[in-house]
Amino acid sequence: MRLKEGKEHQIYEVTDMRLEPELERRMGALGLSPGTSIEIVNNQKKGAVIVKFRGVRFAFGTRIADQIHIKEAAGCREAAR
Amino acid sequence: MQGSGEVNRNVIRAGFIGNPNCGKTTLFNACTGASLKVANWPGVTVEKKEGWTTWRGMEFHLTDLPGVYSLASYTMEEHVSKEFILSGAVDVVVDVADASSLERNLYLTLQLLELGKPVVLALNMMDIVRKRGMEIDLLRLSELLGIPCIAISARERMGLDLLLYAISRYEEYEKPALRAKRNSALLQLRDRQDGRNQRIRLSENRNRTAEEGWMSASLAGADYDLIEEMISQVVRRREKTQMPEPEQMIEKRAGKQQDLTDRIDRYLTGKWLGLPIFLAIMAMIFFLTFTVGGWLKGYFEMMLELLSEEAGILLDTWKVSPMLRSLIVEGIISGVGGILTFLPNIFILFLALACLEDSGYMARAAFVMDDLMSRVGLSGKAFLPLLLGFGCSVPAIMASRTLEHRKDRLKTILITPFMSCSARLPVYVLFSGMFFGKYAMAACFSMYLIGILAAVVSAKILFRLDHHGTDHMLLIELPKYQSPDAGSIMMYVREKIKDYLTKAGTVIFLASVVMWFLLNFGVEGYVTDMSRSFGAVMGKWIAPVFKPAGLGYWQIIVALISGIAAKEVVVSSCGLLFGIANITTGSGMAGFAHVLEEMGFGMPNAYALMTFCLLYVPCTAAIAAIRKETESGKITAAIVLFQTAAAWVVSVISYQVLNLCSDIFVWPLH
Repeated sequence: MRLKEGKEHQIYEVTDMRLEPELERRMGALGLSPGTSIEIVNNQKKGAVIVKFRGVRFAFGTRIADQIHIKEAAGCREAAR
Repeated sequence: MQGSGEVNRNVIRAGFIGNPNCGKTTLFNACTGASLKVANWPGVTVEKKEGWTTWRGMEFHLTDLPGVYSLASYTMEEHVSKEFILSGAVDVVVDVADASSLERNLYLTLQLLELGKPVVLALNMMDIVRKRGMEIDLLRLSELLGIPCIAISARERMGLDLLLYAISRYEEYEKPALRAKRNSALLQLRDRQDGRNQRIRLSENRNRTAEEGWMSASLAGADYDLIEEMISQVVRRREKTQMPEPEQMIEKRAGKQQDLTDRIDRYLTGKWLGLPIFLAIMAMIFFLTFTVGGWLKGYFEMMLELLSEEAGILLDTWKVSPMLRSLIVEGIISGVGGILTFLPNIFILFLALACLEDSGYMARAAFVMDDLMSRVGLSGKAFLPLLLGFGCSVPAIMASRTLEHRKDRLKTILITPFMSCSARLPVYVLFSGMFFGKYAMAACFSMYLIGILAAVVSAKILFRLDHHGTDHMLLIELPKYQSPDAGSIMMYVREKIKDYLTKAGTVIFLASVVMWFLLNFGVEGYVTDMSRSFGAVMGKWIAPVFKPAGLGYWQIIVALISGIAAKEVVVSSCGLLFGIANITTGSGMAGFAHVLEEMGFGMPNAYALMTFCLLYVPCTAAIAAIRKETESGKITAAIVLFQTAAAWVVSVISYQVLNLCSDIFVWPLH
């Protein structure tokens, strides 16, 4: 599923990123690549989404959130509130 | 020549680099005694800043570079930083890392090591790591990276001596033996982590030159695995020696600080509350600016009246010529002093903006506004320059550098001056105070809304015209919330006040003197009748163009032209043009209102004037900033023309509509 379709406070694993190479390299520099676990912090709006990976929060616009594919992480757990 | 060579050898040139929000500028300020702006949102430092310090007889030339996540040249800041390091302008790179987000910060460290420059790692925010019950083994980290790793606290100014000592020994860090040792340590780590044999790849890189090292820096793109392994070796829980999972080490999930940020974000970035809270915060800022600022302004006005009176008496006793008396009392004291009475309003506005920036809320504003901004073809990130524009257009225009695409940058630069900066405040306060009675504050506030509307409509038009619009995208880090640091805020506000006073003492002072000459001299020389002055001739020539906007008075035209120097000058010029002493004081305003009403200049004219001031040509400093950022005289001219045309259209509309309404019913203003 796409990142935008994920549930809040749930941890997922990135499976695929269909971004242009430059942006994908940028994501790599931030530590987001296939295999990285990512937590959805805020997915309430129609557009942007707030995620947390490698301990840091980021806001992604729809354009990015739609191109990141995720799956439920093994041993998926509700993030501590 | 020899002399200059000597100097260069004795000076150690260090460049400070690091991720955004890692405390780099705070450290730079602590080392150099500078007072560069520090705030809690990515993109505060948009261009490199330089400073000097001495330590134990050694001289250090320090450069603060913009915050970057990598050296991939994705943004302008990354490009500036990479070019600077590769240019050979630094002897040693000081990599400032946020120890509480060590994993991501080490990514940049590994890229820096690839450049082949001596690197010193300064680990900031170690107190947060300790609070989380963690400990970083600096010796082991230093061993693995082959560079000195120094724990510092930029805010508390701790560890600076050790850091400067480490910087001073930079020549020792790039010895081949040390590099070989580091590569071998990293190699072992990698083997340990994934079992794959990466030996060939690393050994290939081992003996590369700096340039080749950079070429292979992309290799680090796959190095998060390596970093995770590194972290597992250097980060430990304090109470137990067992190894926690890397993820836990970087950011302890149950940590209080984290919970607090998440809890606050639930409201501030919530679907329903996010936007109303943002608007409420902005309304509160303006309310405080006008009410508390206005109250304090009263005392400043009293002081100005007193000063003006005393100066007049003193000059009379000295029997100074009437011309010089007029220049000092009406030109300088009334002009510059009048502008200084707005200092309390400016102080409160910048204090509030500083709190907003230091708390970490700015990046949230980008998130909250992203949906709305995307409708006009911009990302939420473009909203940050606009927000800064409420303070001053110059840093706001410069902040557009954080946007990735040139087209987005140009669009943002075009609309940023529409955001009502603090320099326009005196104009609103003066004219709304005279013509809007109890609705003065609402009239002022409406200027901010018209400014936002003009920005949105302009962006929307450009979005429609641009068939190949860039696919905007929001990508911004949301830093942890922190209680605003009193020191940083006072430093920021002090700088802004200093800028304002400097402006009053230079641009506004000069503009007041020039205006005085233009209005007291004509073709016949010194004139007592202002309508025969150079200023009047110029104003009368242009006035017909502004008649549809209700501004077809030569005095108003001259005041508006003078406002190009700095917008506040419109107010001081009005004092000179209409012969009103201390125009910003209660009695001055009453006299001014009376003169204007006799000329047939009423409420609709005043509103049109305020609107024109809001939108027309930005001040000279802002025009210079636009020229610098767009790197094009043509684009700058086009932006200036567009803004003036927009100002004319909107002021004509507002004048005609209000005039029509005035004919139908009487405004209950008092």
